[in-house]
Amino acid sequence: MKSVFAVNTAFTLVLVLAVDSAAQTRGARGTVASARAEAPVDLTGQWVAIISEDWRWRMITPPKGDIVSIPLSLQGQQTAEAWDPAKDEAAGEQCRAYGAPGLMRGPIRMRISWQDDNTLKLETDYGTQTRLLRFGSGTTQTSRSWQGLTSAQWIVRGGGRGAPRFGSLKTVTMNLRAGYLRKNGVPYSERAVFTEHWDVHSLPNGDKYLVNTNVVEDPVYLQAPFQTAIHYKLERDTSKWDPTPCDARF
Amino acid sequence: MRRAILKVTWLLLGALWSTPAFGQVELGGSYAIRMHEDYIERGPGSFLGDFTGMPLSDEGRAKALRYTSSLPSTIERQCLAQSPWVGLYRPLALRFWSETDESGRVVAWVMGGDYLRDTVTIWIDGREHPSPNAWHPSSGFSTGHWEGDTLVVRTTHVKTAWIRRGVGIPGSDRSTFTAFITRRENLLTITTVQEDPIYLTEPHVVSRVWEFDPRGSQGPLRDTCNVGVEIPSLEDTGEVPHYLPGQNPEEDYMVRTYNIPKEAAMGHAHTLYPEYRKTLRSIYQPPASCGRYCCGWIERQGLPGAAPGLTCNDGNLPPAIRKVLTGTER
Repeated sequence: MKSVFAVNTAFTLVLVLAVDSAAQTRGARGTVASARAEAPVDLTGQWVAIISEDWRWRMITPPKGDIVSIPLSLQGQQTAEAWDPAKDEAAGEQCRAYGAPGLMRGPIRMRISWQDDNTLKLETDYGTQTRLLRFGSGTTQTSRSWQGLTSAQWIVRGGGRGAPRFGSLKTVTMNLRAGYLRKNGVPYSERAVFTEHWDVHSLPNGDKYLVNTNVVEDPVYLQAPFQTAIHYKLERDTSKWDPTPCDARF
Repeated sequence: MRRAILKVTWLLLGALWSTPAFGQVELGGSYAIRMHEDYIERGPGSFLGDFTGMPLSDEGRAKALRYTSSLPSTIERQCLAQSPWVGLYRPLALRFWSETDESGRVVAWVMGGDYLRDTVTIWIDGREHPSPNAWHPSSGFSTGHWEGDTLVVRTTHVKTAWIRRGVGIPGSDRSTFTAFITRRENLLTITTVQEDPIYLTEPHVVSRVWEFDPRGSQGPLRDTCNVGVEIPSLEDTGEVPHYLPGQNPEEDYMVRTYNIPKEAAMGHAHTLYPEYRKTLRSIYQPPASCGRYCCGWIERQGLPGAAPGLTCNDGNLPPAIRKVLTGTER
């Protein structure tokens, strides 16, 4: 009987430690810590987009009808072909290409900081836009906006028993106003869902890159999810920050 | 009995302690290409004279401008298109599998892909890179370690190879790569940072996405480059097709076709950053219409084409190819 008890005790101890290890891995420690305190990665700072991909579609406005590489539906193609920047200007919608799914692929500098303990603020000089990445529940927003409503969560790896702690950020943005994926009127609808995974990678020389792997799903204008990865570099020198208003043409 | 119980307990505790606090991500499997970025470079190939987005040195630019489309037809240069991370500029799938030691421990991840013409072995067993004077195989030499869900890879010992397809942008055999491979749910992201003291003025960064595909859309690996001379006049002549400096007729192609300033088309590093738009704003006029490869993604994937009258249509596809892609010759 004693032997059975001892065996049970041994297994229980192991199981308890195992559960504790898993809990630490998830970052759950029994208390509700703020997102800022729990951050497994530091996203704050000024980041600049390196336009080493799709230069002709990101740095400048391509001609109307140039939808190469975006899996548009027929309705999406028709809408892109009907693009009229003058009409957008007249309607006061110069920022249609500056909504979150288009903004992040733009020629931007962005500053990421903590607005409060559970909200990351992302500001861009390009179009002077602000995105709020909110952790936890309880955020409500009824009206649609260019930047929509973004829910955020840390994905934590490691950290148990003194092991290195790694992680990334996952965000999901909805409640968007209909906008453009590309400056030349390639559309997404207000039903679009924008999912992003944010990773920070470091080089031995101290350079840091932020890679945003993202998926735009839109049942109206896309035939398939639009999937890209966008990279930015951390800038120590913040002097090139240059706020410019939305522009429907350039 | 007590001794046995204690032994079991310590063994279990030891096993628990020795288990890493985070596990390796399973990379194994096939990943389908998602050509939603740089479609032209990865599909039909870059336009001649299009070095946009590249931080080229003067030497790199000069060498790229000597390139002609006939150059890859010479036997000695048919493998210049292949390098360990060329998959980021190719239109095809990737496949990963693991190599284990006798105890089952993963010692390496192997990456294969149709256009690599070789497999890239990423050693994660802690081994050192060989001497700089060691052999440079076409796959280079790669080691890696895990940082959370990301496999961080260092590649050295590469051969001289073109960076982009079909345009002659060179990378030297002194290039080194840092690659970050992250699998997250079904998405695989690979980011590479290429440093080359010869042909680049700053690191060249590329990030791409693939999607896990359990049906594996990748064809068989090709284990050699083509070895046939494709242009008979080049056979046994020793001629190396090239343009002399200043004589490349496509040097201004991007200027005359897309109204892009020549310095941007020629791949100067400062044109990669947002502040260059100040220069562009005063001089750039978009072309009146899109003339070529306007809807490449749709053509490539065989998805339903455009409605009548739209610029973007798939009417240029040969019927045989259309049938392969769409099942119909319409």
